[in-house]
Amino acid sequence: MEEWFGYTGKILRVDLTKKKIVIDDLKREWAKLYIGGLGFAARLMWDEQEPKIDPLSPENLLIATAGPMSGTLAPGSGNIFWAFKSPQTYFWGETRSGGRFGPFLKFSGFDMIVIKGKSDEPLYLYLEGGKAELRKASHLWGLTVHQTSDILKREIGAKDISVATIGPAGENLIKYASIMNDYDRAAGRSGGGAVMGSKKLKAIVAAGGYGVKVYDPEKFLSLSYEAEEAIISDPGNRAMGAHGTVGGLMGLNAMGGLPTQNFRTGYFDKAYKISSDYLENNYMIKRRACYSCTIGCSRYSYVAAGKYATPPSEGPEYETTDMSGAMPMIGDMEVVIRYNYLANNYGIDTITLGHTISWAIEAYEMGLITDKDTGGLKLKWGDPDTFLALVDMIVYRKGFGDLLAEGSYWAAKKIGRGTEDLVNHVKGLEFPAHDPRVESKFLAIQYAVGPRGACHEHPIYPSYDMMGVDAGLREVGLPWPLPDRLEEIGVNRGKAYRVIALYGEVINSLGYCNFYAATKESGSLSPKRLAALYSSLTGIELTPLQIFEAGERSWNLKRAFNLREGLEKSHDTLPKRMVTPILSGPAKGLKVEKPKELIEEAYEGFGWDKETGYIKEETLRRLGLDDVADYLKKINKLR
Amino acid sequence: MVKMLMAIPDRCTGCGRCEEACSFQHFNIIDPSLSAIHVVRLENEPLDAPTFCIECGLCAMPGVCPENAIYRDPNTFAVLIDRNKCDGCTNCIVVCPYGVITLDHIEKKAIKCDLCGGDPQCVKACPENALAYIEANDAAYYKRYFFAELQKKGMVPIVPYPSPRTKEVM
Repeated sequence: MEEWFGYTGKILRVDLTKKKIVIDDLKREWAKLYIGGLGFAARLMWDEQEPKIDPLSPENLLIATAGPMSGTLAPGSGNIFWAFKSPQTYFWGETRSGGRFGPFLKFSGFDMIVIKGKSDEPLYLYLEGGKAELRKASHLWGLTVHQTSDILKREIGAKDISVATIGPAGENLIKYASIMNDYDRAAGRSGGGAVMGSKKLKAIVAAGGYGVKVYDPEKFLSLSYEAEEAIISDPGNRAMGAHGTVGGLMGLNAMGGLPTQNFRTGYFDKAYKISSDYLENNYMIKRRACYSCTIGCSRYSYVAAGKYATPPSEGPEYETTDMSGAMPMIGDMEVVIRYNYLANNYGIDTITLGHTISWAIEAYEMGLITDKDTGGLKLKWGDPDTFLALVDMIVYRKGFGDLLAEGSYWAAKKIGRGTEDLVNHVKGLEFPAHDPRVESKFLAIQYAVGPRGACHEHPIYPSYDMMGVDAGLREVGLPWPLPDRLEEIGVNRGKAYRVIALYGEVINSLGYCNFYAATKESGSLSPKRLAALYSSLTGIELTPLQIFEAGERSWNLKRAFNLREGLEKSHDTLPKRMVTPILSGPAKGLKVEKPKELIEEAYEGFGWDKETGYIKEETLRRLGLDDVADYLKKINKLR
Repeated sequence: MVKMLMAIPDRCTGCGRCEEACSFQHFNIIDPSLSAIHVVRLENEPLDAPTFCIECGLCAMPGVCPENAIYRDPNTFAVLIDRNKCDGCTNCIVVCPYGVITLDHIEKKAIKCDLCGGDPQCVKACPENALAYIEANDAAYYKRYFFAELQKKGMVPIVPYPSPRTKEVM
């Protein structure tokens, strides 16, 4: 058998029902076709997942996968990706996290783990040196993320390990529970924690003991150092490292794009109190980085004393800050840090959690939710104590929290009375803290057509027009210059977004972090750098265009997966608030003018049918996905 | 002039690139457990610290290594282990006060920092300049600051000295 470089060449298959572990070989042709990471996951989910199952049933597959670049010296490669059918959207679910679990999965000897079935007792999975075993976890069930990680570290003893675990939120099947790794790193969105909880799998421990081989050591090392040097020298990356993701908060507020009061407005008057300045001067202890990262955007902070005293922990980052600062109009960094700590420790997605509570406050204010629904709880803007109390109530499904544990989309469906109009979601996934009305119309496209629902990072952060950078994408066909960020149709947006989205797919398949793709060509992992690093690591020669073709495969496989699950064009719709003008602030009056045309232009860019949103047969045949085309034809979802 | 490997722990973000570079240099594979430099990280405390051999030479003292495999390189001043002679007895690991000599999990032989023959890869790989390979006299300047920091944290006097009140030896 041929030797693998970069890849470990092994897939771990775990059947929790039969408590059986099988180690499979990776198919060699997959490397060229799908690269790895979420690309492999997309193929595997299409091949092995039964259509239209309940996401919390034993049949749902939970896939953990690291890219070929993970666990190497390639900058920004310390990532883990999870794929499953999402209990929040009932469509494709994917989520990413940094920390060191992804590299440690590789160091333990596996490219990916495929988990199916459901155990009758709590278990955890232990990986070391290419071997795996299931161990009892009854003593861990019910514990928080930090407690679980502490105990596992003590139990396993004198080894450097990385723990991925769920908290009480995942055990209680909260629809937006996250899978946490290395204490505070969250694979938050889409509800992976609930899927893991439904399988009674408490944690996965990766203990290393395997080395990643490199095809051309000399070349790979020099390319890595070259990329590292270039990335460190870029001022944009330096700012990201110095001030973290929350560093952009004041800028967004100044342009009216800081989602506030459940997206009613984009300007928050207390923004300074939740800014990076305020965080760094008062609460931040140090910077942290994920494995192999040369940027280091993570904050490490605490609140020393007072009502919101919080032990040192990682975070907060921008999304959390907005969702617990500006959205409920609290504007207190101490509350943000406390909220971040609680949510991470419980293992719940900070974005959907804060967004859902903000939705509830707005609905209550408008009289659509009454005291009868809340059990006497009075909801109002800028009330930190109720806000934090709701976090506990949701995680343990107490009282009104039981309803909010479903997320704003499902809760609104249950309640009705017009609360649906206040939900900012696509496919059931709530908006993150980026407003497409203000930032960029690429964002509007991505929110609408993205496989996992409204997301600013999957496949990529697409506001290249706002940032005015190209990350070297001109070389693979990005039309340049890009249109003004607010222009919508007739400016080649569909064609441009296609290249941007495929770039994201490539980054997610290789195992990189998206923050390495958001500057000008010289300071980012440009397509040229990606291809060179990949070839020297794995010995598999691929040109930038071939890599992008692989990205296109995974992009279309995810679309095909969603079509098989029953996706129609109507699911790719922006919520009502996006076509409603912003109420106040610098961006007052802005809205998405022509959402339908915008989305149709994107469809055409991808080679999808304009009228139905189905994939065109020629697109799938061109990519060599004949089996997918045949299946879709059979269920009459191919054009 | 002889150079010395120094760390500025305040700068370390815990990215582990030094571990990757070290194992890659010595074993041609990337596996942090084969590294001679270890980033100690606590998630619930603000601790990210690169720990490595300060070339003190305790392990090279006579009587430690039964195979006489440990010696000091006259050029770099690094204490080296001849892995051909090493039989994995772990004596050097016992005497090492910093826990930076380890057994590898492949050949079961001792690993320790050899300063990469005067070109440490961990320094090259560090994106934060938390590691530096600097001239001994400059290093002494920084060492005094580290020592001062240690004293601030309550150093126990190593030499008995008279207490001011009793004039007796404490």
